[in-house]
Amino acid sequence: MASISWHTVDHSLDECIKCNICTSYCPVSAVTDLFPGPKYVGPQAQRFRENGQPQSPDASVDYCSGCRVCNEVCPTGVKIAEINARARAEIVAKRGMPLRNRLLGRNELLGRLGSVAPALANFALQNPFSRLLADKVMGIAPEAPLPTWSTSGTFADWLRASKPQRLRSDKKVVYFHGCATMYYEPFIGKAAVAVMEHQGYEVIVPLQNCCGLPLLSNGEFRAAADYHKNNVAHMASFAQAGFPIIGTSTSCTLTLQEEAPELLDMTDEGSMQLKMATWDIFEWLRDLAAKGELATDFRPLNLTAPYHAPCQLRAHRVGKPALEIMEMIPGLVAAESHALCCGIAGTYGYKSEKYQIAMDVGEELFQFVREQGEGVDYTVCDSETCRWQLEHGTHLPSRHPIELLATAYGLYDLEKRNLV
Amino acid sequence: MIDLIVIGAGLAGLTAALTAAEAGLRVKVVGKGLNALHWSAATLDLLGYTPPRRAPVREPWTTLPHLSLTHPYQIAGELRMRAALQRFLNWSQAGGLPYLPGAVEGENFMLPSPIGAMRPVYLAPYGQREGDLSSQQPLLIVGFDRMRDFYPHLLAEHLNKQGHSTRAVVLSSSLITQRSDANTVQLAAELERREHQIALGGALKSAVRPGERIGLPAILGLDEHTKTLEALAAAAGAPVFEIPTLPPSVPGLRLTTVLRSLLARRHVRVEIGMEVVGVQVEDGVVRWVETATSSRPLRHTASAFLLATGGVLGGGFQSDHQGRFWETVFDLPLNVPQDRSQWFRPLFLDAEGQPVFHGGVAVDNQFQPLDSKGGVMYRNLWAAGGLLAGTDPLQEHSLEGIALVSGAAAGEAAAAALTGGRQTNEAAPADIPAGASAAKTPQ
Repeated sequence: MASISWHTVDHSLDECIKCNICTSYCPVSAVTDLFPGPKYVGPQAQRFRENGQPQSPDASVDYCSGCRVCNEVCPTGVKIAEINARARAEIVAKRGMPLRNRLLGRNELLGRLGSVAPALANFALQNPFSRLLADKVMGIAPEAPLPTWSTSGTFADWLRASKPQRLRSDKKVVYFHGCATMYYEPFIGKAAVAVMEHQGYEVIVPLQNCCGLPLLSNGEFRAAADYHKNNVAHMASFAQAGFPIIGTSTSCTLTLQEEAPELLDMTDEGSMQLKMATWDIFEWLRDLAAKGELATDFRPLNLTAPYHAPCQLRAHRVGKPALEIMEMIPGLVAAESHALCCGIAGTYGYKSEKYQIAMDVGEELFQFVREQGEGVDYTVCDSETCRWQLEHGTHLPSRHPIELLATAYGLYDLEKRNLV
Repeated sequence: MIDLIVIGAGLAGLTAALTAAEAGLRVKVVGKGLNALHWSAATLDLLGYTPPRRAPVREPWTTLPHLSLTHPYQIAGELRMRAALQRFLNWSQAGGLPYLPGAVEGENFMLPSPIGAMRPVYLAPYGQREGDLSSQQPLLIVGFDRMRDFYPHLLAEHLNKQGHSTRAVVLSSSLITQRSDANTVQLAAELERREHQIALGGALKSAVRPGERIGLPAILGLDEHTKTLEALAAAAGAPVFEIPTLPPSVPGLRLTTVLRSLLARRHVRVEIGMEVVGVQVEDGVVRWVETATSSRPLRHTASAFLLATGGVLGGGFQSDHQGRFWETVFDLPLNVPQDRSQWFRPLFLDAEGQPVFHGGVAVDNQFQPLDSKGGVMYRNLWAAGGLLAGTDPLQEHSLEGIALVSGAAAGEAAAAALTGGRQTNEAAPADIPAGASAAKTPQ
């Protein structure tokens, strides 16, 4: 990894007016001294990372969780989170990285391995002894909310089995399920397919890779680029043909839209087509609603379900489309969280040295959930790792908004997490 | 669905949105990022100086008639100005962050800046009012050893030179935080903790001499600011006030939070991180604006639009090396010299200010932007705040006053145009809890 280009991100650096808004709202530096704040490790330290400088002044950029709140609040458009991501990649390129980060970056591989014998894998990884070992040997926090492999088959298994029953239509969409849906939570994919079919769309699920975000956030840019190239190869033709590419994992959609092209400087035609064709599923549903095409045969859901829009969704800059759709469901009380971040930030909170930081960051959100009172049935969040963190921090079950919508259409059992 | 989209989430945009929402409009605010209040003292400066005169203005109301007829205050007129100020006082009360006028009716406060200069201020936050240098009460300025950018001895030296009897004390940061490094916002959060208030209160009591008032950096709490201030004053046995700091400005953060929570009560969404990158205009009417996303631009349609993106500082204007100078959203005509050599006078700190900062968007008395011939540019577009022509708010110390007055006037005018002047509804909906605020709420 000799050359990490700086051009777009570097250009935005010149816009920094040192106003400190990013540091005022950074959820990580609010709870720890180990991260001095976005301005310091981003635009400020960047001058020491220019060509010809002997070395970066310090490595505290590793404590940036990559939540992108800094980008959101910056009044002048500095791409602070991307500056930090690139700085981390440079450190990784120079100094190498621990095995742990290599593993955490490869959730697709982990997902595939565990799915060979999921019950065994769950036992092997989730028992207290292994977790202690993982902590001591690898630095994976023993309490961290790691996912469990699906024991009722992968999403691909279900796709094969359900093929004859699935809708055929002239109206088609492409579904990008991501690794979590594939190996850990196939029910999210089932709910999504059911909802999209309910709108009259045939759902195509082409071959696909991990989006590469875990690798990007752990600083392995070259491996991430390989994943992205594969995704472009598999899906750009659908984008070119005019099919929307719809995702239920906010980290995947953000990566396909922006993170991969921007961080990896992949501006080829296929990457750009994929960028423009990718939708968060609720953004797409909101677009249908605006055109008057959204199915509105909702059954009342008498639920209290506080909703947290994850940082990754906010980084899409499309508002909170899931909230707008949920507001259409009768009986559903979805109080809106204004917490900055749940803390987990992908794989950040899994790391032993960062686990407590992630929990302290998440406290604002956990507190918000507690303030909603005893009657909360579920918390709701679009991102899988955030849902796992929410369950860990609140001890309440968490759901993807697509599961609520599928339930409101009478297609899904919200408690058992299965199609009906 | 939406009647009015306000572009810009600074004081002008938030004021316009709140005014229009109170008049019954369905409003949405889109902003590129968080606002310039985060680096301001968050006082309401109405009119502090009239360049090239060097003396501060004591009585802004008697000075107003001397302003040029194209000044936003002249366009608004005294009646609308007073109404806007009253609105602001009401909001500050309702939001639990009271602002107050000076002790003498119609006169400015004279408040110390972070280096001990005098700042003429019309409405002061409750926490800053005791710093008024019109009073001869001696001052004790207190700082903290590990706090950056706040120098009590420098402040005291400058105040003493101006005839204000002042002492300085630097206390240990460990009284209020265990952090090795903390910015103002983090220190403000630390000071909401009871044990830190007790520790600091005790140290203040030991340091203060009878008859003194105590000036501290503006870090006295976030949501719990008033309580924090009063706890410290009670423990010290002396009046306590805040002196604004270098950014990040805690008073500015508090004011932004309060205005946003008042907007939330009115069901107004404030979308941050949304930069307008495209507009559609047809037949003299704005149809929609588009904001940048991580993919396709997002379209926002509404009956009316209100531009409050600020001037050079706020990002409403852009320029290039050729001397071109333009308004970033609608490319509205700007009365700024289009020759780069005319932007600046030879002296950086020229008493008259710089021509480039004096220009902006010309508006009619309804705060609708005008075309180069003096006609209304778009029938459903209004404008407010730092982008207005006819003033140099930095020189005048009128930044917040212009934002507030023009924001309220433009919001009212837009509401009147859309509702045909139907009665405004002043009461907040009772079903929305007031606790929707949080000190840190960017989205």
